[in-house]
Amino acid sequence: MAHSRYHATANEGMWPVDDDTPVWANDLVKHFGSATAVNGVSLSVPRGMIYGVLGPNGAGKTTTLRMLLGIIDPDSGARRLLGHSAPREASQRVGYLPEERGLYPAMKAREAIAFMGALRGLDWAEGRRRAGDMMEEAGLGHAVDRKIRQMSKGMAQLVQLLGSIVHRPELIVLDEPFSGLDPVNQEHLESLVRAESARGATILFSTHVMSHAERLCERLAIIAGGKRRFEGTVEEARGVLPMQAHYVPCQRGEEAARLLPADARFDGRAWHFEVPDGGAERLLMSLIEAGHGVAGLTMQRPGLHDAFVRIVGDARQQDAEAAR
Amino acid sequence: MSNFFAQTRVIARRDFKAVVATPTFLLFLLAPLFMIVMAVLGGTGASQAVSSAQDKTRIAAIVSAEDLPLVQATDAEMRHLYPVEIGPSRLDVVVSHGADDARAAKTMLAATSPDYTAVLYGPLATPTILRESAGGAAYLSELAEQSLRNRQAGLTPGVRLSRPVAKEAKAATGSAQGRQVTGYGAVFAIFFLTLLLAGQTVGMLAEEKSNKVIEILAAAAPLESVFVGKLVGMFGVALLFVSFWIVLGGVGLAVLTGASGLPALTAAIGAPTFLILCVGYFAMAFMLLGAIFLGVGAQASTMREIQMMSLPITIFQVAMFGLASKAAGQPGSAVARFAEIFPFSSPFAMAARAANDAALWPHVAALLWQLLWVAITIWISARLFRRGVLKSGPGLFSFLRRRKG
Repeated sequence: MAHSRYHATANEGMWPVDDDTPVWANDLVKHFGSATAVNGVSLSVPRGMIYGVLGPNGAGKTTTLRMLLGIIDPDSGARRLLGHSAPREASQRVGYLPEERGLYPAMKAREAIAFMGALRGLDWAEGRRRAGDMMEEAGLGHAVDRKIRQMSKGMAQLVQLLGSIVHRPELIVLDEPFSGLDPVNQEHLESLVRAESARGATILFSTHVMSHAERLCERLAIIAGGKRRFEGTVEEARGVLPMQAHYVPCQRGEEAARLLPADARFDGRAWHFEVPDGGAERLLMSLIEAGHGVAGLTMQRPGLHDAFVRIVGDARQQDAEAAR
Repeated sequence: MSNFFAQTRVIARRDFKAVVATPTFLLFLLAPLFMIVMAVLGGTGASQAVSSAQDKTRIAAIVSAEDLPLVQATDAEMRHLYPVEIGPSRLDVVVSHGADDARAAKTMLAATSPDYTAVLYGPLATPTILRESAGGAAYLSELAEQSLRNRQAGLTPGVRLSRPVAKEAKAATGSAQGRQVTGYGAVFAIFFLTLLLAGQTVGMLAEEKSNKVIEILAAAAPLESVFVGKLVGMFGVALLFVSFWIVLGGVGLAVLTGASGLPALTAAIGAPTFLILCVGYFAMAFMLLGAIFLGVGAQASTMREIQMMSLPITIFQVAMFGLASKAAGQPGSAVARFAEIFPFSSPFAMAARAANDAALWPHVAALLWQLLWVAITIWISARLFRRGVLKSGPGLFSFLRRRKG
């Protein structure tokens, strides 16, 4: 039954759009030769939100983002970026960190940031000034005049991120921003994302690392096999799976099996099972009445990771069935 | 539109600085110096080889003792008409020994030192000339003829009957030959500079593709703006290069010859206008060929592919030069008209036309026409890049398919 709860929001109908919706896409389709990279993805990202696009490798996340930004055109479907149906018309109000990081190796960090700002309409001198301040704040003050080729991968990645926000965009699109960063820099990047959100920017980022999404996202979409399989909050995503119960009987532990759901698993001390649709009360009553007692009981929602694995797994199964 | 130009300027500025602010640019800037040194060394060597060969080769005339002074004096009279570099080989006049002359002539021709290329013997009225080369034989034949004429006319060779006075006089627009030479010079100069400089654009997008900056550029600016920015940036480098060498060449000439100012140019349209038009046509030739190089290079993924793709474009460029050279040699002909209209030979051919024709309006029209083709070439290049590399957008001829549908 869990399926119906999240599939109800996947790839359905025309999505409403107004000029205040920073990112809107309806039924985007993109083929590369005979391969279908994106197959009818729809999205709507409200203003000021941190929105995650999650998906396994090759799910179509990057292609979706590139279509939204106007780097490539969809084969069919519609999109609007900050009220423009031609996304590049809004380019000066957008910041973008691509999945494949790219900087001119011979450029100094300050110049690289100013250059990226200048491409988005920021005055070069102002860009240089802001670059210095931002690098100082990011703890890279010592490297402002260092060439990119002399920097570590993580430092260069931070420089590129600063370059994508130096012009203070309304919308920031980050494609796999955490990949390649060490935990310290990941933490730093998370605070940067929060700071930009606090400034009022809308943030759309893709990732396949659930912990970042769980901490940052207010809403998220899960894409798999080129289709959107889920859309909602993190809590709603976690709600896709039933509560997990961990029950420790007082005595005759293994004999409790006949009262528990068929997929319950005993680890020698405790039973682990999904809480039935109607709740755990009746089950507990029967266990107590049968003399098993309750030495311990915890119930918890599965994490986003589990929900993601379930949603993607179901999607693959569905696609395989459809292919047959 | 203002965004387009602003982004173009940002990209051009980055590219210009990226090229100019490197030590390798100095090497690039001074590269012609190596070419000049090699040319001077090669020229000196070749000139020495030619003069040495000229010193070694000779021609000979075996004549009677009576004819000897006449032939020597006639040779002196004829020889001064030739410039030293292309004059006949040194003449040895030998007194005849009668019946042995034929054998003597053969022996002389067979000898390696001195190396005779032609030997005349027998009476001047019916001379026999043994020869290795036609040039020497023709001179000996003429020498015999002229010697006899001098004798029959009772003239003393070298004594002039007239006293001509030579005065310098130049037509306002120069001679037709001078104008054609100027036109050809302009064609060659523009071709040489574009060959040298426009080819640099072929690998420009390869850098962006290899370091993934293309994604940043493509997200921020239209590809057409990226292409134009790159072309303008490289054109700035080319202008810096040309200006550096014009100044250096001017100073060098002033120091060496003591002359200053522009060299005299024979152009129908007038020297200053001609020079301005040449700069304009150089810009257009650079942009047109640079756009082709850039567009083709943008499709390549590796240096090897870039090199493979450069060759056909260079051959195309040489073909355009050949067409424009033909036009420069035949002003007003059908070939010239075709070369002036065909977009990729137009900058070269129109520069030649500026030397041969005083009308200004065709140049205004030609510059606009060429600018249109720069835009078309860039548009096609950007579209091919979007389709071939970014795997996006409709194909070049999609509008035809739509119409059919």
